[in-house]
Amino acid sequence: MSRFEIYSPEGLRADGRRWNELRHIKCGINTHSKSADGSAVVEMGASKVVCIVQGPQEPETRSRVREKATLSVSVTVAPFSTTERSKHVTNDRRLQEMSANLQNLFEEAVLTHLHPRTEIVCSLTVIAQDGGLLSCCINAMTLALIDAGLPMYEYVSACSVALFDQTPLLDPNNVEETELASVTVGIVGETDKISLLILERRLGLDRLPPALELGVEGCKVLRQVMDKEVRRHGAMRLASRAE
Amino acid sequence: MLVKRASAQSVNHKVFVRSTKAGNAVKVYREQYLRDDIPCGSQLCTLCAEISVPDAKGDFPVPVLSSAPNSTTKRGPHYVVIDTNVALKAIDLLEHPGCLYDVIVPQIVLEEVRNRSLPIYARLRALTAGHDKRFYVFHNEFRSETHVERTPGESINDRNDRAIRRVAKWYSEHLAKVKKAPQVLLLTNDKKNLELAHKDGINASTLHSYIAEYKDSGDLLDIIPAEESFTKESQTQIYPNYYSSSQILAGIKNGFLHQGKLQISRYNYLEASVHTEAYPKPLLVIGRESMNRAFDGDKVVLEILPKSKWRSPLNNIADEENVDANIAAENDDGQAIVTDEERSILAKDALNAQHHEKVQPTARVVGIMKRNWRFYVGQVAPESVNDKIDSGALRSVFFVPLDKRIPRIRIRSRKPQALVDQRIVVAIDDWPVYSRSPQGHFVRALGEIESKSAETEAILLEHDIEYRPFPKAALDCLPQEGHDWKPGMNDPLFEKRRDLRDLLICSIDPPRCQDIDDALHARELPNGNYQVGVHIADVTHFVKASTPLDAEGALRGTSTYLVDKRIDMLPTLLGTDLCSLRPDVERYAFSVLWELDQNANIVSVEFTKSLIRSRYAFEYEEAQARIDDASQQDDLTKGMRALLKLSKKLKQKRLDAGALNLSSPEVKVMTDSETSDPSSVELKNVVDTMSLVEEFMLLANITVARKIYDAYPQTAMLRRHAAPPATNFDILNDQLRLRGQPQIDLESSKTLADSLDRIQDPNDPYFNTLVRIMATRCMMAAEYFAAGNFAQPEFRHYGLASEIYTHFTSPIRRYADIVAHRQLAGAIGYESLHASHYMKNKLDGICDNINMRHRNAQLAGRASIEYYVGQMLKDNESLQEGYVIRVFSNGFGVLVPRFGLESVVYLQDICNPDEAELDEDTYTLKIMQDGKSRSITVFDTIKVFVKSVKDNKGKRQVKMLLG
Repeated sequence: MSRFEIYSPEGLRADGRRWNELRHIKCGINTHSKSADGSAVVEMGASKVVCIVQGPQEPETRSRVREKATLSVSVTVAPFSTTERSKHVTNDRRLQEMSANLQNLFEEAVLTHLHPRTEIVCSLTVIAQDGGLLSCCINAMTLALIDAGLPMYEYVSACSVALFDQTPLLDPNNVEETELASVTVGIVGETDKISLLILERRLGLDRLPPALELGVEGCKVLRQVMDKEVRRHGAMRLASRAE
Repeated sequence: MLVKRASAQSVNHKVFVRSTKAGNAVKVYREQYLRDDIPCGSQLCTLCAEISVPDAKGDFPVPVLSSAPNSTTKRGPHYVVIDTNVALKAIDLLEHPGCLYDVIVPQIVLEEVRNRSLPIYARLRALTAGHDKRFYVFHNEFRSETHVERTPGESINDRNDRAIRRVAKWYSEHLAKVKKAPQVLLLTNDKKNLELAHKDGINASTLHSYIAEYKDSGDLLDIIPAEESFTKESQTQIYPNYYSSSQILAGIKNGFLHQGKLQISRYNYLEASVHTEAYPKPLLVIGRESMNRAFDGDKVVLEILPKSKWRSPLNNIADEENVDANIAAENDDGQAIVTDEERSILAKDALNAQHHEKVQPTARVVGIMKRNWRFYVGQVAPESVNDKIDSGALRSVFFVPLDKRIPRIRIRSRKPQALVDQRIVVAIDDWPVYSRSPQGHFVRALGEIESKSAETEAILLEHDIEYRPFPKAALDCLPQEGHDWKPGMNDPLFEKRRDLRDLLICSIDPPRCQDIDDALHARELPNGNYQVGVHIADVTHFVKASTPLDAEGALRGTSTYLVDKRIDMLPTLLGTDLCSLRPDVERYAFSVLWELDQNANIVSVEFTKSLIRSRYAFEYEEAQARIDDASQQDDLTKGMRALLKLSKKLKQKRLDAGALNLSSPEVKVMTDSETSDPSSVELKNVVDTMSLVEEFMLLANITVARKIYDAYPQTAMLRRHAAPPATNFDILNDQLRLRGQPQIDLESSKTLADSLDRIQDPNDPYFNTLVRIMATRCMMAAEYFAAGNFAQPEFRHYGLASEIYTHFTSPIRRYADIVAHRQLAGAIGYESLHASHYMKNKLDGICDNINMRHRNAQLAGRASIEYYVGQMLKDNESLQEGYVIRVFSNGFGVLVPRFGLESVVYLQDICNPDEAELDEDTYTLKIMQDGKSRSITVFDTIKVFVKSVKDNKGKRQVKMLLG
């Protein structure tokens, strides 16, 4: 049994949110302008991810030369990102799987055919983890790719939903994620079309629809937040060019 | 909008340092969101109605605090805010219907209670869930106005106390805006908190002085636990202190401290044993000082004593009352914990131990990981009550629990004289190092001693059986149509059900059975095989997972059968009506349909939810008569004959495989139909049709077990019965050898069954049964488990000689069957399985609970029979034949088959105990009676005079004397 009431009968979660509330979101675009073609930082609650994008550039190996741009994604987790400092693990299977998921998702969203025979290198660094890691990575990568000026169909946004019995809980933090089964939902643009759906534990099929509905709505809000940041940055760039 | 964003201003960071299990310190960082939409929960408040938000289902919170609240003569209407210590110490009072309505429980209190004691947390939560006492949880930590930041240098406790005071203050300011606002009163038992509250101008009081404001406070005041320890400080310490938690952790890690569950012997309250991981045999804990305030069932930490103190188990019987009844309750502190009489018993034993080589390591308790305190039922020891008339002043008295393994508890009461003849319930508060007995407080009285209702309730309480009526939330889950429910009503899955109404199904049960959960049919198929069906009441159609009704069923775990009363696991509407497969009504069932060949081998099997109509509800003997009556040639009777034929083949197969036929001294109490007073005791008798039903139920259980294990290899609900360790039978085999009887062969269950058959005494037909009873006691108990916990070979059910087994056939009265039903429904794709039934940790929790409930229900049933037999013997003292089953140095255990009764004959009642001599090698006790020498050996038949006496503590016991 958890040390907390995960979802109290009064409808409050362990951190004081209600079921349908996202954590505090902070995002920045073009944060590492000196060292990368595109960069972004996304904070969702206490989770924080930095994404650096290089490219499009000449592929390092011949195998990556294709008729469209190759996305290569790597995720590293800082050892200080969790409460207890973890030993450095190379080739963590979880991270490998995550990179593969990110790659598949963004190959659909980026117009890769416009940059044939090139490679786009995305490196994600997890600075702090408090649940919702994958969604945080997706959002950071969207912003960094936009910053790099790569053509995309639309924003890719993601958030996760945990299920406490019949009640879906939006954007679970680490405590909730370890206690409950959760799904990560990703959408492209402001559609209701789900492009990514990842479930790591077992869940009755009948409980999924309400979770998906809430997840999609959460993604839409995240898209707005990111759009606002992109526009703010664009306006700033425009203003500085006008000077 | 559906989704909301938390704003940056509302984030608050909670940073603290915590030690981990490994002993490291980690810094924990957590976010906390402060909000303005947490209502105060008062019906008077209009402001909060505007800010409250609906939950995921769209329901708005209902204000629970009454507009015409709680009122005392002195204070007028008021709301009460409680402190953590009040919740922890006085939960009984909070639950009491006589006081404390409209209570605000600050979230921080709930959290602290949860960290300190989960059971009390559960009770507090139950109070807030039911609206009758109007308890409201106010989430003070999340409401921005009441959130309190820890200041540098402030301890967590101080911060939490401050947060509680803040709640009280905020409430009084908040409600000041309302017309005719009630007072807000902070209840705390912490002196410092009280002082600070007064300083802040908060209305505060101790629980004690608050309760004293009530009109009839006398009864209530008794329930309040002691605010401080009963007696003054500067006491001499008589028990050693426990080790600190770091010492304990290090000791366990290094392997010189051991932990386990303390089990106090039923025969001698001074001896306990603890099974630890490190040793194959249990460690002995002997004497009060070594037990060091531990209770039976506590999880304790032990330190091994030096080798010089090792010894063999005690071989005498000791009852606390017979040994040290002469200590006054008022001034028992500071006395040596070992009385002289206790010393002499121990010394005599130590001497014995030295003559022996069978010494066992002994240990002493140095720490307690988890207390097993519960409510205890018993009575006040009359000799500890000094005043003839209750003066109203507080008096310490001793409470004698019914359970012999529990020490006497000191309680304080203002009206001890009134309690003397009552069965009462007591809770324990504390056991300080300077007090010889634990300290507790009175909870409530059940009624006069020996009145039937009080004794029945006592049995239920003692075995932790939930007997209160079903909560409203659970009853709300029943079909609204009630008795008029018909199959097919609002049932989206009705299409998936198979219509088996045309089958000739009947049920066979004990006389006057109301909850019929199984029915059968058989018909011959054209190919000469038989189609046999077992149809089990489809309880899970009505009891859906994770509903309040399901939660209540899971908690109860099983129905409990007492002599005159049945405590149902599910509400009567389901048990005896909607689920019960009564004749000539259409009922839902879960059916197992086999095709069996002439030799009862399974050709094929099919599981389906079905709709059936039973043709007839037989009683065992009625069914037997119908089968035997050759003139009956209808299809139903033919089917029953086929069933009987097949069942005999199944039984033979089972016995060939080594199924055991064990015995327990079961009797049935016949009660007078009008007064329901016990009139006589009968041994249960057996007819063929009983085994007919039993065989097919076993077959169904085994078949279902295989299916759900296939579908859920980790979490299938199964039942296993481990093979008994050979050492369990050492003593019994030794005793048999001395009698010149063949040995019990433990090679396999088959050899065990065969060797039990060989044990016969031509002069005494009961001898075989007696040995079976004693062998049963050497067996392990069967248990429920989730499949993932054991390797497949260990699934074996030893007693039934089956590779795999579960319980499927009695869902009305057992929760394990409900789980099996749901898993089977999931396995056949009827409906998807609820998460709690495929998550292993959840299922482990369910298994632990139902194993415990099952055992308790059995014990309660036996206790009830024992009580009735005792009542019956009251007027029928008689000379009976008994068997010696155990010998001690100062007494011996006797079993009287006529009443299924077991008791101890104390030597002090029949002769001079000092002249008796115990020969442990031959299990013989030599005594001098009336100048003649007499020896008593295990298995001896003796005449005993059985009577039921009320001892000087007012406790009725069956007493046996040599006839």
